[in-house]
Amino acid sequence: MAIYNLDAILNRYCDDFLILEFNHLFISSSIREEVWLLQRRADPALVEKIMRAAEEFGIYDVNADKDFDTYSGGQKAILGCLLTLAVIRSQKIHGLKLLLNNVLDSLSDDNRLKLFSKFEEMRLTHDIRLYTNKKDRIQEIF
Amino acid sequence: MKIKKGTYRLEKRGLNFSLADDLDFKDRNNCFYFRGGNGFGKTSFLEKIIIPALKTEKVQYIYIGQDIRTQLYTLRALLAVQGIKVSDNDEVALLRLWINHSRSATVFILDEFDKYFPDYGFIFDWSDAFIRAYIMVTHLGYCQPDAVAGKYRTCNVKFDLVDFDGHIKNIRVKKE
Repeated sequence: MAIYNLDAILNRYCDDFLILEFNHLFISSSIREEVWLLQRRADPALVEKIMRAAEEFGIYDVNADKDFDTYSGGQKAILGCLLTLAVIRSQKIHGLKLLLNNVLDSLSDDNRLKLFSKFEEMRLTHDIRLYTNKKDRIQEIF
Repeated sequence: MKIKKGTYRLEKRGLNFSLADDLDFKDRNNCFYFRGGNGFGKTSFLEKIIIPALKTEKVQYIYIGQDIRTQLYTLRALLAVQGIKVSDNDEVALLRLWINHSRSATVFILDEFDKYFPDYGFIFDWSDAFIRAYIMVTHLGYCQPDAVAGKYRTCNVKFDLVDFDGHIKNIRVKKE
């Protein structure tokens, strides 16, 4: 049994999936920095879009420079997903397979449903496919 | 150890809790489930209200936090400096070893542990000889492992957002 085995997850799935892992959601410490790294430039418009989307999930105290560590675990999981979706849309990425590892179980039921509807929208427009990892087995959500 | 009903303010975290019922962690075979929306302060309530109260009353506890990555490194180091061989153990064996060396604890806190192990009954098997009360933060359904359902009194504690004034969230904490 393994609680959390990043090497095993990467070895098994990194060739086929973009992996969002609960314990490794971000490289940097704020939305502004993360967008800068993912877009390779400052992108205030994208930052603004992510913050507005976060408010839909009840993250009212969202701020471009707020340290990720000051958000709750579930809020970080939501922000990680919203960042990913925003970058996929911005960079017009199609056909991506996205694996959520220990992410969905950190969300309250209402936020999980809201997030599914965001992903569903991206499935229709960008052919994104969503997977989760349960008991060492990959399951396609849609 | 009891957390009495009343108001608890965590201004730095922008949270103001109104606890509607006493929470008593002294009785044996109690299992508390903390539930509520994201950002409603379940982990803050654990870390800033319950754990300090446990420390004040010198009640020993085991805490498995939400971010398990750092904790596993720490755990491995902690056991190593105590002279306990850990290099050959996998993470679950490491956890078992730690729990087995924590027999002075009477409260066991698990923050979203069920996302790693939906069937977490083994935690009870390893610890119920000395643990009196379990506190679990969860977003998953109300189903419990068989080991839990038969033996423990379940107490669901719900965190609900009352209002948000732009700075502070007022949260009602109530037993269901």
